[in-house]
Amino acid sequence: MWADLGMWAAAILTIAIFSLLYRDNPFYRAAEHLLVGVSAGYYVVNYFQASVLRKFVFPVFRQGELWLVPGGILGLLVLLRLSRRTQWISRYAIAFYVAAWSGYLIPAIIQERILTQIVGTVPPAPWTVAPMAFLGALVLFVGVVSILVYFYFSAPQTGALKQVSQIGITFLMVGFGASFGYTVMGRVSLLIGRFQFLLQDVPAAVLGR
Amino acid sequence: MSAASQPATSARRRWIDAIATVDRRLIFLVIGAGVAIPLLFPLGLPVGVSREATAYHEAIEALAPGDIVIFAFDYEPDVMAEVDPMSYATLSRIFAKGVRVVALADYAGGVGIALRILGETARESGRQYGSDYVFLGYNPDYTATMLRMGESIRQTFPTDHYGTPTGELALMREVDNYAGVDLLVSISGSALAEYWVIFAGGKFGQKVIAGNTAIQAVLIYPYFQTGQLSGFLGGLKGAAEYEQLIGRRGLGLRGMDAQSVAHLLIVCFIVLGNVGYFTARARRRGEAGGMGRGHVG
Repeated sequence: MWADLGMWAAAILTIAIFSLLYRDNPFYRAAEHLLVGVSAGYYVVNYFQASVLRKFVFPVFRQGELWLVPGGILGLLVLLRLSRRTQWISRYAIAFYVAAWSGYLIPAIIQERILTQIVGTVPPAPWTVAPMAFLGALVLFVGVVSILVYFYFSAPQTGALKQVSQIGITFLMVGFGASFGYTVMGRVSLLIGRFQFLLQDVPAAVLGR
Repeated sequence: MSAASQPATSARRRWIDAIATVDRRLIFLVIGAGVAIPLLFPLGLPVGVSREATAYHEAIEALAPGDIVIFAFDYEPDVMAEVDPMSYATLSRIFAKGVRVVALADYAGGVGIALRILGETARESGRQYGSDYVFLGYNPDYTATMLRMGESIRQTFPTDHYGTPTGELALMREVDNYAGVDLLVSISGSALAEYWVIFAGGKFGQKVIAGNTAIQAVLIYPYFQTGQLSGFLGGLKGAAEYEQLIGRRGLGLRGMDAQSVAHLLIVCFIVLGNVGYFTARARRRGEAGGMGRGHVG
């Protein structure tokens, strides 16, 4: 019964949200406000439970893991941002967090996002791969180099530099086009998801599956 | 201009004006119909399978019964329509193969999704909680979670989602870090698959495959090209490809007809919009030129 009630609520709210496509109206507004309110409530409870209770309160007060206390104090310091007089103290907590996060993130990012990608950009020897694979690798290499040239601002973009950067622009446009195409596909998929729900799931529930 | 050609010209102008000023609600209606009709009356259009989906499939097929997979629900309800079909298809296949699953959610909003899909797919295959699969729940700060899981999953998640100490779960007594994990699957609505590649893959050598929203797929391609990612699915199309490969007609394949028709309509609207725009611009230029000549004359 509760599942059916939830399904009906979801169906009515979906139609209320879709009604914006015609024009702004109170049903759409109500559904929008409900979404914001429910989301805020859901996340506040979840974050409090997962972060404060499970990571701090239970381990410290039930299992006596006192080594977590300094971290908890740092966390509390962030709340001092709420007052102008004390907000400077919160910077210590933020500084600690930024330092720790940078420390473990920067080396990993440089290794996996930059160095490994550079290695992957260099074309393999032609005799080690299939002709089409080599051609693909060559196109990739030309694309990366020409786009880097396009973003080279320390010399005027004239002569050969301009020619190469024009190729770079072409590659960029192709990239943006692919990105836009995927975005359209993603948005249509979301619409399909709602239509599947309205046209297939809801009738199946009404007709007793 | 002859008198006979004048009505034809004005009719063409009316058409061009109509194209240029079409009510956007008409476009919504046409797209809506284009999506709804194929869902009600499937067309059975063919779905090609990409190299990356084949690699994703092969990575799962290489698993043997009893192997352990980490399955990360890295998305929230806003992208469910795109990636839920991937989760359903992948978990169904993994459970059917007798592979065991350690599941987790890297976003708080993913917890409900994980409970639903894990429950349904495990029930289909008759898998038991605790020995065949576990759900660790949501842990704040996904990058720290990914790194710490490389040292100890039991310390990262002292309890599972239901509050049971992870050390008491039969499956979790067998695995405590990536060394005991045969494959990591991230179904993601953001850049989280990338972070799994960076932290679990780069730092701990964990084999990673991913299912992504279409928007994220563009950003994931470079990792597949370099071999950092062993395979991936992009958007609902990727889900449909995987369903095709495992012979399961799920939400992905059922949505592909609607996807194709909607894309075709969007292409038509783009062409019509451009025809209207360029024709109107040419007409404006022609009129401006005519006025200019008249003034000079």
